[in-house]
Amino acid sequence: MRWIREHKLITGLLSLLIVMALIFVLSVVTGTGDNSLSSFLNNGVTKISGFFSSVGTNVRDGVSGIFAGASKQNEIDDLEEEIAKLQRELAQARLEEDQLQQLQELAGILNYDYTSETFNVVTADVKLKDGSNWTGVFTIDRGKESGISTGKIVISGAGLVGIVTETGDGWAKVRPAVSEDEKISFKLARDGSQLGIVSGNSEGTMSGYMLDDDSTVAEGDILISSGMGSYPEGIEIGSVKSVKYNSDKLMREITVEPAVSFESLRKVAVII
Amino acid sequence: MRYWKAGIFFLIAFFIQTSLLNIINIGGYTPNLLLCLVVIFSFLYEKDMYGLVMGTVFGLAYDVCYSYVIGPTPIALIIVAVLVLVLREYANIENIISMWTVSVISFFVYYFVNWGLYKIAGTTFSLGYAFSHAIWAILYSLFVITILYIFMIKKVSRHHKDRYFR
Repeated sequence: MRWIREHKLITGLLSLLIVMALIFVLSVVTGTGDNSLSSFLNNGVTKISGFFSSVGTNVRDGVSGIFAGASKQNEIDDLEEEIAKLQRELAQARLEEDQLQQLQELAGILNYDYTSETFNVVTADVKLKDGSNWTGVFTIDRGKESGISTGKIVISGAGLVGIVTETGDGWAKVRPAVSEDEKISFKLARDGSQLGIVSGNSEGTMSGYMLDDDSTVAEGDILISSGMGSYPEGIEIGSVKSVKYNSDKLMREITVEPAVSFESLRKVAVII
Repeated sequence: MRYWKAGIFFLIAFFIQTSLLNIINIGGYTPNLLLCLVVIFSFLYEKDMYGLVMGTVFGLAYDVCYSYVIGPTPIALIIVAVLVLVLREYANIENIISMWTVSVISFFVYYFVNWGLYKIAGTTFSLGYAFSHAIWAILYSLFVITILYIFMIKKVSRHHKDRYFR
């Protein structure tokens, strides 16, 4: 006690750090979750930040409008939205007809109606980005009111973006797929029988392996989600950057360049 | 300077960091305004510890609102604020080179601690990847902190170029 009285500043700082460390440990263990305090703060902050974001958008569009014409900017926005919709249609089309029929028959037997309807998407604008410049977390302007909930998959016109980690009224936080340890099952776009697994790696890209060591995977091959696990089938994940045969593990290891450029992401679609 | 005035600076930085700046960024990178304010306030105002107090409050709010884990930002900002308070004892606050030196050390420490805590939280990114992105933010932040310093040093030390003025 005497030491504490004599060293009030150090005691105060250490207490502060201990409290913060406890909050950190608690949030890592339990997740930020959808608790009321977090939602209350996010609802308010998103509205105020949304105002600044709109101001910024107007400034950017105005400046780019001087050089390229404001109409071009609107055209780009519309096209981005259309690409996101086409991406969904492409994803559906990739389910081969006979495969879809088999699944529907199976679903009928199991009295399960997932495959009888296609998945819906909600398009949203990227409103806020984490200022750390490297974690890649961002907030979109749609949330619970649009049916978005935690764990939903986010895509863009280019392909897979990430998953929703938290949501509220008018906002949802998205964590990029490349920052996830979670494994994504994929197949080659040119040959659906060649399957593999990828996950985010330390370099901000993805790496993984082919399930069959006789796979003919090559540089430049496009990977799409196989539909196994939490990711719906047909979403473009990225393209193969390099292939290496690991003789110890007897498997072909690949590195993948994500299809999406996270720095320039402005419009996304959430699969609900 | 009073606490509420410092609070307004932090409040503005808090709101424009993730919105306005991300839209009018340079090459996809933005300065870290909260970090800049913590460094400059800790460097220029020793007794009131604006940087430490405001950094903790706004760092916590920042993680609650924008991150998927709570803690890395306030913890890193507290460490930076304490580091700057220690370093300023050996620096001449009226010299901009001292400011730059302290800033660069603080920025690197911040990103290292920040990355370390995110690593514990499960991010896959390596330190090299984090710094390859952070380096541009550090350069950008250095530019912002220089502008802040030019304006704020006049308030702290009115005739800082006059060595005979007391």
